[in-house]
Amino acid sequence: MHIPDGYLDLHIAVLLYIAAFLALAYSLRKAVIDESMVPKVGIVAAGIFAAQMLNWPIPFGTSAHFVGGALSAIVLKPYLGSIAMASVLLIQALIFGDGGITTLGANIWNMAIVNVFVAYALFKIFKKSIIGAFLAGWLGITAAAVFAGIEIGLSSSFGYSINVTVPVMGIWHAVLGIIEGIITALAYAYIRRGA
Amino acid sequence: MKAGYIAIIIMILLAPVFAYLAELVGYAEPLENVAEMLNVEEKPIYSGILPDYTVEGVNPYIGTLISGAVGALLTFLLAGGVIKLARKSRK
Repeated sequence: MHIPDGYLDLHIAVLLYIAAFLALAYSLRKAVIDESMVPKVGIVAAGIFAAQMLNWPIPFGTSAHFVGGALSAIVLKPYLGSIAMASVLLIQALIFGDGGITTLGANIWNMAIVNVFVAYALFKIFKKSIIGAFLAGWLGITAAAVFAGIEIGLSSSFGYSINVTVPVMGIWHAVLGIIEGIITALAYAYIRRGA
Repeated sequence: MKAGYIAIIIMILLAPVFAYLAELVGYAEPLENVAEMLNVEEKPIYSGILPDYTVEGVNPYIGTLISGAVGALLTFLLAGGVIKLARKSRK
């Protein structure tokens, strides 16, 4: 769901840069950071980067990769989870051209803020259960996709209104997001057992 | 922690296999499919140092492997570095 350059109007891109920056600054202030967190955040971020490289082929010419916003929220709590996700997105955009430069703020907002915080809220509402982890993975990514749909729908450069972009993005990712939910739940079950 | 490092190494090693499989079915991101349905074109202004997880002049699968290793290392350093700096600045 990395939005490339050219999909967003400049004022929307700038607004989302500001929103993403403020949210990340707030996260850094609020995060509880002890010494063990330095390598832990690094490992989760590197793990999500590696997991996102694995494009699972799906019949009918599409593919999906794990996004990881929910898992990073569950493992690191949302404030540090958002920093881990933003690090992944920054490296993807700067080194690999994955996601645009003008749209980096939007991509961070969708996948490092919306995805992470919506996922964590669901995880907490469902009492940190396996079901909660599944819903966090599934609906976290769907919420991020709906936001992406709103952003590109509001941009005149995309040429389609949000009446089209939100349902298309939302429904597509709500289907693919089930896989994200299952992987998140399995990973959480494994981590919880080991902890 | 050790399991995390091992998982990352396994995923990087698997990346070229997945790249091959994705090619078999015709890989496309959902957002790209949506854009194609709606006839919208990307306007790339920057393609990155290792565009599309490849290394220029290197076999694409080996390029994917190198990209995975480089990317995971840089992401680890960036995320860990930011947290380390934030911790230091609070002291």
